[in-house]
Amino acid sequence: MTTIPTGKTPAVPAGINWLGLAGHAVPWVIAIVYYFMAADYLTFGTQIMIWILFAMSLDLVLGYAGIVTLGHAAFFGIGAYAAGIFSIHVSGDPILGHLVAIVVAALAGLITGAMILHTTGVTFLMLTLAIVSVIFEYANQAKWLTGGDDGLQGMVINPLFGVYPFNIFGNTAYIYTMVVLFVWFLIARRLVRSPFGRSLDGIRQNPRRMRAIGTPVWWRLLAIYTISAAIAGSAGALSAHSTRFVGLDTLSLLTSGIVTVILILGGTRRLYGAFVGAVVYFYVQDWTAKISPYFWEIIVGGMLIATVLFLEGGLMDLGRVARNLFLRLRRSRTA
Amino acid sequence: MRWFAGAVAAVALSLSAGAASAAEVVKIGLIADFTGAFAVWGTQFQHAIEAYQAIHGKTVKGPDGKDYEIQYVYRDNVSAGPDKTKQLAEELILREKVKMLAGFDLSPHAMAVADIVNQVKMPVIIMNAATASITRNSPYFIRVSMTIPQNVVPLAQWAYKSGIRRIYMITSDYAPGYDAANFFSKEFTKLGGQIIGADKSPQQETNFGVYMEKVLQAKPDALYMFQPAGSPSVSLVKAYTERGLKQAGIKLLGTGETEEFQMDAFNDDVIGTITSFHYTETNKTPLNVQLRATLTKLYGPKETPDIASVAAWDGTDLIYRSIAVLGPNADGDKYIDFMRHAKLNSPRGPAEIDPVERDIVQNMYIRRVEKRDGKLVNIDIDTVPMVKDPWKLENPPKSN
Amino acid sequence: MPSLSFAATIILDGISYGMVLFIISVGLTVTMGLMRLVNLAHGSFAMIGGYIAGYLTQNGYNFYLALLIASIVPGILGGLAEVTLFRPLYRKGELAQVLLTIGFVFVVTAAVTGIFGAFPYPVKFPDYLTRPLDIGFRTYPGYRLFLIVVGAIIAAVLWYVIEGSLFGARLRAAVDNPRMARAVGMNVNVLFTGTFVIGCALAGLGGAVGAGILSPEPSYALKYVVLFLVVVIVGGEGSFKGSFVAAMALGVIDTVGKYFFTEAAAYLLYAAVFVLLLWRPQGLLPPKSVA
Repeated sequence: MTTIPTGKTPAVPAGINWLGLAGHAVPWVIAIVYYFMAADYLTFGTQIMIWILFAMSLDLVLGYAGIVTLGHAAFFGIGAYAAGIFSIHVSGDPILGHLVAIVVAALAGLITGAMILHTTGVTFLMLTLAIVSVIFEYANQAKWLTGGDDGLQGMVINPLFGVYPFNIFGNTAYIYTMVVLFVWFLIARRLVRSPFGRSLDGIRQNPRRMRAIGTPVWWRLLAIYTISAAIAGSAGALSAHSTRFVGLDTLSLLTSGIVTVILILGGTRRLYGAFVGAVVYFYVQDWTAKISPYFWEIIVGGMLIATVLFLEGGLMDLGRVARNLFLRLRRSRTA
Repeated sequence: MRWFAGAVAAVALSLSAGAASAAEVVKIGLIADFTGAFAVWGTQFQHAIEAYQAIHGKTVKGPDGKDYEIQYVYRDNVSAGPDKTKQLAEELILREKVKMLAGFDLSPHAMAVADIVNQVKMPVIIMNAATASITRNSPYFIRVSMTIPQNVVPLAQWAYKSGIRRIYMITSDYAPGYDAANFFSKEFTKLGGQIIGADKSPQQETNFGVYMEKVLQAKPDALYMFQPAGSPSVSLVKAYTERGLKQAGIKLLGTGETEEFQMDAFNDDVIGTITSFHYTETNKTPLNVQLRATLTKLYGPKETPDIASVAAWDGTDLIYRSIAVLGPNADGDKYIDFMRHAKLNSPRGPAEIDPVERDIVQNMYIRRVEKRDGKLVNIDIDTVPMVKDPWKLENPPKSN
Repeated sequence: MPSLSFAATIILDGISYGMVLFIISVGLTVTMGLMRLVNLAHGSFAMIGGYIAGYLTQNGYNFYLALLIASIVPGILGGLAEVTLFRPLYRKGELAQVLLTIGFVFVVTAAVTGIFGAFPYPVKFPDYLTRPLDIGFRTYPGYRLFLIVVGAIIAAVLWYVIEGSLFGARLRAAVDNPRMARAVGMNVNVLFTGTFVIGCALAGLGGAVGAGILSPEPSYALKYVVLFLVVVIVGGEGSFKGSFVAAMALGVIDTVGKYFFTEAAAYLLYAAVFVLLLWRPQGLLPPKSVA
């Protein structure tokens, strides 16, 4: 029976997509449940959330804008040291320190981005590597400022809002990190769904065409690079506040490598990939490191290889792969 | 409020540590590097501890006559830096409910846990970290390894005594290297010697050709080196032998670079190198002979004990003795009080803990590399008895 | 003012270091240029070569035999890895390549630690290489001269193969214009695998002879991968000449920098890379398709 098109558009079903909303709430529910269930292991959860934030910042440049960088630890480390040094020399207030860290990291992103964003591909990659290496070396040598190899000593972080202390049990740090992560997540989501975010998608896929239609490509890239640096700096500040310590490894190449691995493992361009990647990476590492020292390297390495070979879009794809498998099985049974 | 509950729990934890867990197993948390560039240390710790427990058994009789099993819980720092150490320490304290912490092959790792062990009053037995100021960071730190200044000052003195007047230094560009350069040059120039050149090499440098050139140009009486264990040490000594410095009459002075487990990498030109160290692998004390024999039995003939093995052995001995006297549930302060008056029965020779600084006081041995039975080994040629850490003597505590 | 003999030493030091970098990296530049594969695992083949040479020389085998085996084994492993693991990567994009090759490095690092232990694993060079040789106006380590000779021979052989042989011509064609190469019927699979095998074999050889400068240890692959990538990218991906020039340049810069600015030595190399890449983003001597 044919339907004759009328002038009216069909009505959009009213009401909220409850299933979708429930899906989005899952990570936060898990975080809250973890808080109550794992009260003696909160630092682990805090650490994972910090890395989720860090990986999410990388997703904005790597996944969405297509900027392949191996130097993102520079912003994480700069944020961490800024927050730490601020707490020693100026004030122990965590919120103030956090804001300072964000600004400093964003500035670093702005300046370095302006210097190198006109290049692409492996050249750009090498330049990011060179930048983070130089910053690392500086931090190593500037012992008077950073503590050098020993790390930043003597950090005192005041209680949050004057009430909630940062201590060994990690309650304050956990909730503080969770809230900050949530806020940045909302901002990031808004960003990628905005026209600006869409244009980044286009830039990643075909910069030449974007230029042809008049998009200021370089400026857009610089903008997202700066924002991403700010978020990475925020994650660094969280790390400094929750552990009350900053070490040179926050600026290391290994850190850059790990966050890239975590993001790609979880799946880029999904924002949630950062969540999945960080949780899986750290859980597997934690669990396997206890069994035997170098065992975890084999397991994690094998996991990375398997993910690439079998899951196109990272671990987030597991859902899709599982569903396809399930559908195919069902079809073969009824056929 | 959770924070208040947390504070109450902290107090409860310290007062009645272990009330919740059964008193039979006493857990000791050990944090070290088992993978990565410093994996030698964690491995040495674990092997020495297992050797000790193979000889002395795993249990200790407490003051109440009951048997307590000392169980080490090992955690790998996965080359991840001091924030990982903090996380591991918190997990060991809160989750595994360890009674003490031990290990800490690198100084930043030890320093990172100071504020948390202060919160829960947990004894920490430092088995390798060597930065002088560490034991000041927390009243719960006891060190059984060594300090850098303790090691280098006797060497500077010996160098001057033996007629060396002009020295070129190549030290590694990280905190222990700065300590070494600082204290060596201070002592040597105080005695009347001259430091004619000083270079800092990147921490993981293995390409020392250029540095050797500079030394050859400067023509010192001796070259003083300080490099981290592993490839940098090996590479520098090799560069010394390969570049003809020995033939030019330049002596080599060092600290831990000629440790026995690294000797395989050198050719005979390393003979004559003078090092100062707190442990000579070839010493004939009965405990050392026993340690070597047990390690060989458990891990094969290539296994050589080294400073971390000895420190882990002594640390374990301290733990056993303190549990035997105080039991597993004593207050952190009591354990520290017991340990800081302790004399160590050590394979390295005489050693004890300084009661005020909680730091190690021990003999320093001046050794020369020689060939015995076809193997390159360190042989003692002089002993400086019971050296206290010079840095502490220079920087007396402001208040106790 | 440094004397002539001293200046000569510095240059020789830089060149010998550069030779090691060249031998290891030349395989990487060809695979990156040819297959457009971001291969962070290249250092592991060099590492395997170093360990094999270490094992054989420590157990009394002939040094040159050890070098031969240290080249062959990584070559074979490379071929196997290429066919099974890396081939699916060509069409998967850079990110997947980064992830898989890092995973590969982890696995190899763990395997090497498990088999050989966590301590540095030296190669026992023959006595005549560990002593200084008299080269007329001064003495100089025989080992370094050996490196220069080996590097020069390999460079000459590769030059002949790449410029003068059919295989070389096919290789250059495939690097310059992959689509056209396929269109004229070249068996790209065989070419890729063969090139990869040779590249890994060279890396293994470089790891073995270079063990006196870059010592084999578990963190080798991760530590030095940056150096190899720098040589490739500064030289220009796919450019054999470029990797030679870049390796020499970086070796000399690093050595000279260490002499004159020992404090800033660590910065110097990266700063130099930064400047070089901003000046010549495509590399010093990029192959035709890129230039």
